Amino acid sequence: MSTPTATHSAAGDTASGAQPSGRLVIGWQLPVLVALLVAASACALSLGTPYVPLHRLPGALLDGDSTLAGIVVTELRVPRLVLALVAGACLGAAGLVLQEALRNPLAVPEMLGVSSGAALGVAAPLVLAVSLPAAVQPLLAIGGAALGGGLTLLAAGLGRSPSAVLLTGAAVAAALQAALLVLMVMADQLDLQLIYRYLLGSLSARTWEDVTGLWPWLLVAVPALVLCAPVLSVLRLGDEDAEALGVRAQRARLAALAIAVVLIAPVTAVCGPVAWVGFLAPHLARWFNPAAGAVRWLPWSAAWGAAVVAVADVPARLALAPVETPVGAWTALVGVPAGVALLRSGRRRPAGTAVVRSAPQGTDAVPARPSEEVR
Amino acid sequence: MSRRFAVLVALIVVCAGVELVAGRGMSPAAVWDVLGGGGDATERHILLQLRLPRLLVALGAGACLGVAGLVLQSALRNPLAGPEVTGVTPGAVLGAVAATGLGLAGWESPLAVVVAACVGGCAGAALLWLLAGRGRSDPAQTAVHGVLVSAVLGGLTAMVLLVAPGELGSVVQWLVGTTEGRVWQHWHLLWPWALAWGVVAWLLAGPLTLLRCGDDIALAAGLSARRARTLALLCAVALTAGAVAAVGALGFVGLLVPHLAVAVFGADLRVTLPGAALVGAAVVCGADAAAQLSSRLLAAALDSGRLTLPVGALTACLGAALLLVVVRRTPSRTF
Repeated sequence: MSTPTATHSAAGDTASGAQPSGRLVIGWQLPVLVALLVAASACALSLGTPYVPLHRLPGALLDGDSTLAGIVVTELRVPRLVLALVAGACLGAAGLVLQEALRNPLAVPEMLGVSSGAALGVAAPLVLAVSLPAAVQPLLAIGGAALGGGLTLLAAGLGRSPSAVLLTGAAVAAALQAALLVLMVMADQLDLQLIYRYLLGSLSARTWEDVTGLWPWLLVAVPALVLCAPVLSVLRLGDEDAEALGVRAQRARLAALAIAVVLIAPVTAVCGPVAWVGFLAPHLARWFNPAAGAVRWLPWSAAWGAAVVAVADVPARLALAPVETPVGAWTALVGVPAGVALLRSGRRRPAGTAVVRSAPQGTDAVPARPSEEVR
Repeated sequence: MSRRFAVLVALIVVCAGVELVAGRGMSPAAVWDVLGGGGDATERHILLQLRLPRLLVALGAGACLGVAGLVLQSALRNPLAGPEVTGVTPGAVLGAVAATGLGLAGWESPLAVVVAACVGGCAGAALLWLLAGRGRSDPAQTAVHGVLVSAVLGGLTAMVLLVAPGELGSVVQWLVGTTEGRVWQHWHLLWPWALAWGVVAWLLAGPLTLLRCGDDIALAAGLSARRARTLALLCAVALTAGAVAAVGALGFVGLLVPHLAVAVFGADLRVTLPGAALVGAAVVCGADAAAQLSSRLLAAALDSGRLTLPVGALTACLGAALLLVVVRRTPSRTF
């Protein structure tokens, strides 16, 4: 906590009483988040077949494997809920890291080719019938994700403006998608169903083993996140100011991207690319608390990511009851419009509240050029 | 100019020839035999009932996509506005998949698929229009919003596919874009639609050339810019929908072809529009031939018979490379 911005934001913490509007919004954020999380957890644990009423839940949890309800709750629903929360938190945090490091509100894993790369890394051995130990899968996913993200950044050049990076990412993602589709065409019907569901991001039939597989990666990523958060808020000021404050901007950015990849890839290996959580969660965190910096947004973003995935998993499990719908489709359906709406409304706020956001950033802030030539 | 057209036509003929001999199981000599009227029944069937319609569908779909892309780019004055990035293609795929999956249309009622694809394409374009809002004038931003729209539409398509999972195998090929297994019915469905809307696009060539110069100049020249643009967008959506209903979402052809066409024929659409049709036909046909050849080579190298490379994957890779070039070549401050 030696960098100037970190101390500054810490001071902002204690001085938040001086900002009535900020405190009001923060006051809303916590209850809304807790209410959403509690409601989603209650639904996830009690609804479904068999229906376990809320007042029997503690009993079922304590019973363990002696009753049917106990087995269903402890062996199926609890791991699924935990996985949803952990995956969402990872994706939300990774989304914030990416957006802050590239100073681009639309820099999400889906747009940078990171998700497609990770998915390709997981799907390829499945189709090509190469049997691998389960521990290698996250490594392959990480390799693919790093490949996708690295290709994008290499092709775009690191110093390029936000939209150029995004469009390059879209191109890389499209090429990786094409490779995936080739794999899908090669696969037989049974594999195809499996891959298709996986590619949309699904939490069905995940067990405690999948959850425990995530812990080692979290052990690496969480300390790194804590270390890099203050640097992120310095990066936000722009490369020149960051260098003036003693941060090697390019190196810090690369480190941030590496952390994002380490967060995203294991989640993708376990439950597929749960789409657009990394887009929605940071924007939710910012919308509720526009005046804070990256350090304050990071935990909130992770919490919102967990809430989004947990909430989206309820309709994914129950909407078309005997058939499972993939949670990624729901997060995409909800996440994109909601995220864009938040992005817009955040920009329309009076300049006084949006201190940090007042610098021209993002695609929408690029001045429109009606006179541009079409060649 | 006519020499360029001649070269292009020659290129298409070469591509078509390669495409006819590229498949498995027939030697070039046998193909020549059949074309001359000989050959046994099996060879005749393969060539006349399978390869010829496939070739024609590839040519027609390529022409449709090329024209649609050029019309879109001119009407929106946006070098990045292919049907794929403006939400038209994903919308059309959603419409077609929804109509097929929910039983509203099938191969017995093929026109319904085209109409559904058309409606879906319009919906996708409208969604982008809503989402882009005030910032429509910035090309890169419109393209970025288009990617977002594609994500939403892709999610909806996934939902529909999961409601009707039985069709997954055939529909996946549709999502990639492939000319595998196209027969005469597809061609009979494609050409009247393509011809009708191609004529509309041809009639719009003059107004579109004016629109490319900017709304002010178009208005000064006495053109009702709004009406011309609406009509042009409708035409582009219809052409894309026809192509999607026939071959699926061929990646990035609508983005790739107009750039080639403008580079070869210049910015006068009265010349470039037919040029774009020819370039589109050549690109898709050539890509299909290359895909067949390379899947043959791959199958021989990897010794697995089921390996086929869909043409959509090839065009997507080409288009991605081109998108990179376009993005990099534009000075960084524009975006």
